[in-house]
Amino acid sequence: MPDAGEYRVYEVFFQKDATDFHTNVGSLRAANPEMALQMARETFFRRDDAYDIWVVPQDSIFASPHDAAHLPVRGMDKRYRLPSGYDNAPHWKRFKAQAMTIEEVADDMKTRGKGGPS
Amino acid sequence: MGEDERMTDFMARIASGQRVEANDWMPGEYRDLLIKQIHMHGVSEIMGAYPEKEWVPKAPTIRRKLALNAKVQDEIGHGQMLLRLAEDLSRPYGRGREALMDDLLDGRVKFHNVFHLSAPTWADAGVIGFLVDGGAIITQAALLDSSYAPYARMLKRIVAEESFHMQYGESVVLALAEGRQAQRDMLQGAINRWWSPMMFFFGPRGMGKSAERMMHYKIRTKTNEELRQKFINRYVPRLQALGMSIPDPAVKQDPATGVWGFTEPDWALHTDMVRNNCGPESQSRLNLRKQAHTGQQWVREAVNEASRLLEREGA
Amino acid sequence: MNTGQKSEGSDWVALIKPVADDEWIVAHRGSEWLGLAPDLEEDLAYSSINQDEMGHAHFYYALLAELGDPEPERTVYGRPPEQWRNARILEAPNGDWAQTVALRYFYEVFDDLRLEGLSHSLWQPLQDGIRTIRREESYHLQHFSTWFDMLAVGTPESRRRLVNGIDALWMNLGDLFSWGQPDTWLAAMGLDNLSQPVIKAAWERRVGDKLEAAGIPWPGPVPEPLADGRRGQHTQDLQALLNVMTEVQRTDLTAQW
Repeated sequence: MPDAGEYRVYEVFFQKDATDFHTNVGSLRAANPEMALQMARETFFRRDDAYDIWVVPQDSIFASPHDAAHLPVRGMDKRYRLPSGYDNAPHWKRFKAQAMTIEEVADDMKTRGKGGPS
Repeated sequence: MGEDERMTDFMARIASGQRVEANDWMPGEYRDLLIKQIHMHGVSEIMGAYPEKEWVPKAPTIRRKLALNAKVQDEIGHGQMLLRLAEDLSRPYGRGREALMDDLLDGRVKFHNVFHLSAPTWADAGVIGFLVDGGAIITQAALLDSSYAPYARMLKRIVAEESFHMQYGESVVLALAEGRQAQRDMLQGAINRWWSPMMFFFGPRGMGKSAERMMHYKIRTKTNEELRQKFINRYVPRLQALGMSIPDPAVKQDPATGVWGFTEPDWALHTDMVRNNCGPESQSRLNLRKQAHTGQQWVREAVNEASRLLEREGA
Repeated sequence: MNTGQKSEGSDWVALIKPVADDEWIVAHRGSEWLGLAPDLEEDLAYSSINQDEMGHAHFYYALLAELGDPEPERTVYGRPPEQWRNARILEAPNGDWAQTVALRYFYEVFDDLRLEGLSHSLWQPLQDGIRTIRREESYHLQHFSTWFDMLAVGTPESRRRLVNGIDALWMNLGDLFSWGQPDTWLAAMGLDNLSQPVIKAAWERRVGDKLEAAGIPWPGPVPEPLADGRRGQHTQDLQALLNVMTEVQRTDLTAQW
């Protein structure tokens, strides 16, 4: 509960554009969520555009303690689950074929910004 | 704003390349199409975990076993992300995770044809990673442009994870292709089983009504045939390079148009399988999901109840 | 190789192999839960835990190879049951979720104590690995400890299932604490804390506290094992598990997969 006379604290999150996830940029005090949204605008976005802004009451956030039991810190070798853990290109080469990358497949599918069919 | 005006405004936004968010106003038809598409996509990811799951205990090396665990886990993870989107969209209907999962078990939502089929050899597990994931990557990459922003965002994440699936699938297939004759035969056998189902996977040449409406709303932007052609164009040369044959003599590229021919899959058979869950493994895999979901409702009830109790004690 | 003063390579093998085999087998059974956990989010969590355990096993097997054992692949895929040193309870087929939670909680407490003991070993590569492994294991323990508490207080059904699970496991936990040979060698390595009576007493204290907090009656001291997995005395379940595990690999032992 806020102290008497104190505004509540809101954490501010923003999305740079539609395909980004929200990022925390800081916090502010405001008397209610609507005011928090309005204040966030000039507190954090005096220079940058934003696609979307969230304000979340700080006391609604359940945060992780900073210990190993809560925070994923990759210790043991996890290359088996990363694309970089595989080197298929030399094998493809033996068969005189080219390796593929996902970026290339994704590029191939793009219609936006390419003047593709609407 | 009146309904007509809202609709005009909505279509104008989509036409100009803007995206729609979960809490934005949207036409009922748009919402329903999204639910249909994302729900089906989500449950297909979950059901897609089972054919490969069967091979996790049998994976022939330590690294393959680790990788296959991680891959099957990712499929469940993609199902989780997509169901969350479908749940948010279904909120006005008062339906959440439990209801959406029940839909799968009760046959109200369908999953992809390929996950109704059996995977009888280790090579099948590899070919699923190679061809089925390859097809899924193409369809998902095509959806990165979706007008529904939460879907596009989640797909960006999913496609990034699929990059590992692609490398893993290729790695398994390459090892078999480089291996003994028995391994190459096993690989060819699996390709023979999965080729035609993959032709069905992309859907009919002419698109159904709801697919057309999804194009209208730019929920998707590519036709079934465009996606199938991309798939054939990518995978046929590679399979041939491996010395594998394509089990369809009609697969040839028209030198003038660049268009690939293919023999029509048995549309009726696969449609029936998807519609009525009557493929060779449809029921056994649905039973696994039922065991997980319905069979363990007691667990979810227990943690809910425990959490309520602890909250009350804390308060 | 410098494995610390006075200790023979065979002592290090005797120390590491049961740990490696426990981790591998518990992960194999754990991975059978893929796609079957009570909710999607737990499916992801449990799978990562099992991948962690497999990774730990791989690390230990690589150390064993340095000590003269065969390569990890041979050690995992090429041994008959009597050469495995895992505890018998870990090779048993999975029970329901409550029994799985009870087993994993019991095992994670044991593993925590064992890792604490192993962290005092005088072999640097082992020490380094243990430090990394403990970061992951502290989460595993926390995870199953939370699940244990939830099921204990949740509903009458979850409590009944948890108590049944504990009962089913309790009589068969004995060889978890065994090293398959008299403990004297551990003292020579400066690892007294790993000796059977010490680690068992510590385990019973911690699990006893947990059961008491949950209001679950103490089933009594864990009985001495009738057979000892640490001596290669296994149930038919391990043979069955290995048959499945090696099914593909056995079709061509020398092929690349």
